[in-house]
Amino acid sequence: MITLPDPKPDVLARRDAVIAGLRAAVADAEGVIGDPISLKPYETDGLSAYRQMPLAVALPESTEEVAAIMRFCHANGVRVVPRGAGTSLSGGALPMADAVVVGLMRMNQILDINYADRCATVQAGVTNIGITNAVSDEGFFYAPDPSSQLACMIGGNVNMNSGGAHCLKYGVTANNLLGLKIVTVDGEILDIGGEHLDAAGYDWLGLLTGSEGQLALVTEITVRILRSPEGARAMLAGFASNEIAGACVDSIISSGIIPVALEFMDRPAIHACEAFAHAGYPLDAEAMLIIEVEGSVAEQDDLLARLSAICNRHNPMSLKVSRSVEESLAIWKGRKGAFGAIGRISPDYLCMDGVIPTSKLPDVLRRIQEMSDSYGLKVANIFHAGDGNLHPLIMFDANDPTSFHKAETFGAEILKLCVEVGGCLTGEHGVGVEKRDLMPFQFAEHELEQQRRIKSAFDPDWLLNPSKVFPLRAPAALPRAA
Amino acid sequence: MQTNFTESQLADPDTAVANQVLRSCVHCGLCTATCPTFQLLGDELDSPRGRIYLIKDMLETNRPATEEVVLHVDRCLSCLSCMTTCPSGVHYMHLVDHARAYIERTYRRPLAERLIRGVLGWIIPRPRVFRLALAGARLVAPLARLIPGQSMLARRLRAMLALAPANVPGPDPNEGPRLYPASGPRKARVALLAGCAQQVLAPEINAATIRLLTRLGCEVVVAKGAGCCGSLNHHMGQHTPAMTLAWTNIEAWSREIDKDGLDAVVINASGCGTTVKDYGFMFRTEPAANRNKAELISGLAVDITELLTRIGYTPTRPKPGLTVAYHSACSLQHGQQITNEPKALLRKAGFRVVEPAEGHLCCGSAGTYNMLQPDIATRLRTRKLRNIAKTKPDLVAAGNIGCITQLSGDALPVVHTVALLDWMAGGPRPEGVPCVA
Amino acid sequence: MIPSEAEAAIARQVAAAREPLLVRGAGTKFGMLRPVQAASEITTEGLTGITLYAPKELIISARAGTPLHEIESTLAEHGQHLIAEPPDLSLLLGTAANTQTLGGVVATNLSGPRRVAWGAMRDHVMGIRAVTGRGEVIHSGGRVLKNVTGLDLCKLLTGSHGTLGIITEITLKVLPAPEAVGTIAIPGLNAEQAVAVLSAALGSPYGVSGAAWLPAEAAARLPEPIAAGRSVTLIRIEDFATSVAYRTEKLRGELSAGEILDDTASRTLWRAVRDVRALPTANGDGIWRVSVRPSAGPGVLRAVEGATGYLDWGGGLVWLAGPANETTHRAIEAAARAAAGTWTLMHAPDSLRNAVDVVPPESAPLAAISRRVKGAMDPRGILNPGRIYSGL
Repeated sequence: MITLPDPKPDVLARRDAVIAGLRAAVADAEGVIGDPISLKPYETDGLSAYRQMPLAVALPESTEEVAAIMRFCHANGVRVVPRGAGTSLSGGALPMADAVVVGLMRMNQILDINYADRCATVQAGVTNIGITNAVSDEGFFYAPDPSSQLACMIGGNVNMNSGGAHCLKYGVTANNLLGLKIVTVDGEILDIGGEHLDAAGYDWLGLLTGSEGQLALVTEITVRILRSPEGARAMLAGFASNEIAGACVDSIISSGIIPVALEFMDRPAIHACEAFAHAGYPLDAEAMLIIEVEGSVAEQDDLLARLSAICNRHNPMSLKVSRSVEESLAIWKGRKGAFGAIGRISPDYLCMDGVIPTSKLPDVLRRIQEMSDSYGLKVANIFHAGDGNLHPLIMFDANDPTSFHKAETFGAEILKLCVEVGGCLTGEHGVGVEKRDLMPFQFAEHELEQQRRIKSAFDPDWLLNPSKVFPLRAPAALPRAA
Repeated sequence: MQTNFTESQLADPDTAVANQVLRSCVHCGLCTATCPTFQLLGDELDSPRGRIYLIKDMLETNRPATEEVVLHVDRCLSCLSCMTTCPSGVHYMHLVDHARAYIERTYRRPLAERLIRGVLGWIIPRPRVFRLALAGARLVAPLARLIPGQSMLARRLRAMLALAPANVPGPDPNEGPRLYPASGPRKARVALLAGCAQQVLAPEINAATIRLLTRLGCEVVVAKGAGCCGSLNHHMGQHTPAMTLAWTNIEAWSREIDKDGLDAVVINASGCGTTVKDYGFMFRTEPAANRNKAELISGLAVDITELLTRIGYTPTRPKPGLTVAYHSACSLQHGQQITNEPKALLRKAGFRVVEPAEGHLCCGSAGTYNMLQPDIATRLRTRKLRNIAKTKPDLVAAGNIGCITQLSGDALPVVHTVALLDWMAGGPRPEGVPCVA
Repeated sequence: MIPSEAEAAIARQVAAAREPLLVRGAGTKFGMLRPVQAASEITTEGLTGITLYAPKELIISARAGTPLHEIESTLAEHGQHLIAEPPDLSLLLGTAANTQTLGGVVATNLSGPRRVAWGAMRDHVMGIRAVTGRGEVIHSGGRVLKNVTGLDLCKLLTGSHGTLGIITEITLKVLPAPEAVGTIAIPGLNAEQAVAVLSAALGSPYGVSGAAWLPAEAAARLPEPIAAGRSVTLIRIEDFATSVAYRTEKLRGELSAGEILDDTASRTLWRAVRDVRALPTANGDGIWRVSVRPSAGPGVLRAVEGATGYLDWGGGLVWLAGPANETTHRAIEAAARAAAGTWTLMHAPDSLRNAVDVVPPESAPLAAISRRVKGAMDPRGILNPGRIYSGL
């Protein structure tokens, strides 16, 4: 179970004053929420197993309003939890009883699109797909594509350094950013980077990306936009075992082909997603690969032929190359809706996000199956096979407390296994509150302490997104900035 | 998602359904992305997920509806875009319908609001009364700008008057129950839901439907006793009148079934279609005989474009050389998941069909929504019209009278899909549509 | 990523140090940024060797002192390469050829022409081990391709020029080397015309992985005589041979200009572009790199009188050589500022390096954060003090 620190009693006592202060910072009367009934839906994010009512919610409409909120909160010692679309699967936007949730959903404007220099500047509350939609008429796209891209916001993507199914070729969020506008904990507005490549001094852009709201609030983002390929097509290959599918992945990478996406699903995942997307997934297979290539039709044909030949060496049970854009879309609909589709076969699930060296996949899947049997909880596995990012979806019943507790323990065991085989706790969902207490499995205490000191350099009083990322300790024991 | 209902709460069938819906939600948040009010207002509370949570908390605590919950549930358009988006299959419609009825039961709205809702819920389902009301509204419409203030009441009154059409057509001589024989051998016998507001505002839609269907070999019956489908009251949480109207229809069509059988109940206002298709669910707790009747009717209900696709449609006129922006009514695309049929039929009829961006977003009509929530409705209308204009069409086609009224009055003619299909199959050119190029 | 005795020795040395240390790999980049006043050197030369290479997992780990060419040749044996194509600036800067270390390239975040399409060195550092100014060994990241566990100190340390920690081991993402390389060479364009063409090429769907413009004088220094006294605009495509043939032809058609250079010529040419052979060798001159949005590149080139240079990264990277004096430097600063970009003084006499801002100064609030971060990593301020910013 996740423990949260006791709220600061003095802040709770000043609740009305805090709300008044926020009202002074935010112009719109509906932009500050303080009544308990309206606060309730803000008590959780995409990880609804963890819930905590916030002190208040503020919904600023500009960077200046964010800065005003931060100046007020900083001056009054009030903690702040930044929130985008609230789709975090690690509880990254879980409120605290004494903290103000600053929701950036109203900042959803595309500020500038610069095709000549291939970049776009947008506010933090623009959705991931919203960027692509804004530039797709000109044939461009924004590359990182987390499964929640329809809803998740770019500000959240930056804070979590989100990945997606296509990052084997195009990289994750960090690789696709040029600049940020941030608001520091004391309300300063700073520009980081710009429309050019690479920093001359320290790589603040790189450090802020994936910092999970620990260092600053991100309000504007300049992203690289890329020209879409001439075309893309996916193929599906079904295999009789996880081992065979894993071996096929190895052969593909060894062949020198880097498919734009290489996704792996095990049997339960195949069944759940097919029921939702009707994409023609092979229901008799134990494991399935989605392999996508890009280029002209001739190039696609050539690459798909090479890939088919490789798959055929591994005795696939089925091999199906999509013949149309619609078929490819259906294939991706199943994959991208995978998490929700699990909602059709189980009332609740926990989605893990470990990373393993790809060579360990069969071994890791076997051990996960053993754990599944011993916990008596079903699990479906989805895997970004190209980069080793494993998403076991543990199915449980949230109305049964034992079931949830078992799921939590099961999840922690999987993540420890990922670290044990040479991987890490999280590939793209972030540590959040969910994996906070597992950090000592990946980092020595002095290493965590070093990260805490960096946090203190940005946020000396530890007001930003409290109780996430770093295992809890008494405030007095937190490092102060030098 | 976890829920906290007691055994005794779950004994109530409505709460049991709500619990089922809530349990299927995994709180992933994808629905927020396609929700019109979340797009405009940027508040979790104005998103499907936020409303689900507000409703969940209200039901779990057995708390009478409060002002905060009412505010955000009222702002929901019931466009059901969230249901198209939801990967977990959450039946938001049943949850929000239940919440609206719960609100109506447990919350006392301010007097002015009760009056407006009561009046709308009484007038619109009654064509004759509605026609009189429109004529009256027409008379006082020029006074709209004299209504002072920015109160919600003032804005609502102005919105209602603005929506009243310049010319209210007189009663169609053919209005009322009647049997229209098929021209040529009868291939099918269908009941047409003549509806309420539509036959007052745009009687030509039913006329076009009947002409086209009889020409294609359908016997069309406008059943005695059938009238408003009940959705207007249903969406305002007015449970009893909604059920009464629905039952009247079920009875009327059941009599037609007993008489000579029915192959379909055809509906040309998709908002009504969504509700008729849900009659089975609405009567789920009734005695088996009634429930079965309701289910039978729901099973027979089809949108006009579904029926035309089924029986086959062929144009007889040369291609009109016109570009039609197809506006997909929410009740069609989300409520009934009908997306391709209307476009395919329009193409078959010879039109060039274009689809505006953000096609999933509601135009703001949403039943009585444009009268009760004029600000949001107007912003959605403006946004919709802007997206439509970008496609540079000659006209707009839609399958729902609400959308047609909402989008009319701008630069482009807005007509019902079936009127265009009828025209190309030999019917008259719909009013306002440019001549064949 | 495993501890080693050499690493432990460095940690002990740092912990015991009482005075500033100059962090040294092969010493090929001492001329960059500001001179360091240090009592003694600390070297990574004992930290050598590839510690892990898993071609099927697209991962290689090596100790920081490993010569880069050793890593490149190991990768080549398996048909793979370093994605960011780091340059060897030895000829330009007059240092020993083929000696630069992996640690040096990562600590300075140097990337070649492919950066415009495939990311910088910093984008491919998956894991890092380093000795902090406290003398503690820390690691960040790991040996997998995706990792968001904790703050990304890999990014912070990469490009920090040894001021925050001494990098001891690095894990990089690598990729299969392309089967073929092709180039479209268009002679005779001016800088603005060239950047417009490069912008069109980079905005095409053909996966352009190199986009440079060289004025006549710079083009003449290239090993391939391709433009005969005229400027040349170069566009590179790398992929399977059939794809390269198809895409270069298609793109040339769309641009309706240029000739196509074959695989051998392309490789030689782009190696020269990578290693900045198109600039005159430094000698007494100053060398600058300016990073701006691509469309601003030509303006920067023109704004600096007396300097010579060329454009890479589609126009966004301006290499400049010119008199090593404050006038030139101020002109470059002004041009970079006007284009909202950054500059880096790559090579100059110590007097100039000490006198000017070798990189853009940070705003006061950001400079305060820099000081606190430096303090967090190196509280005694003993690692390469003053290397990037005076007094830090």
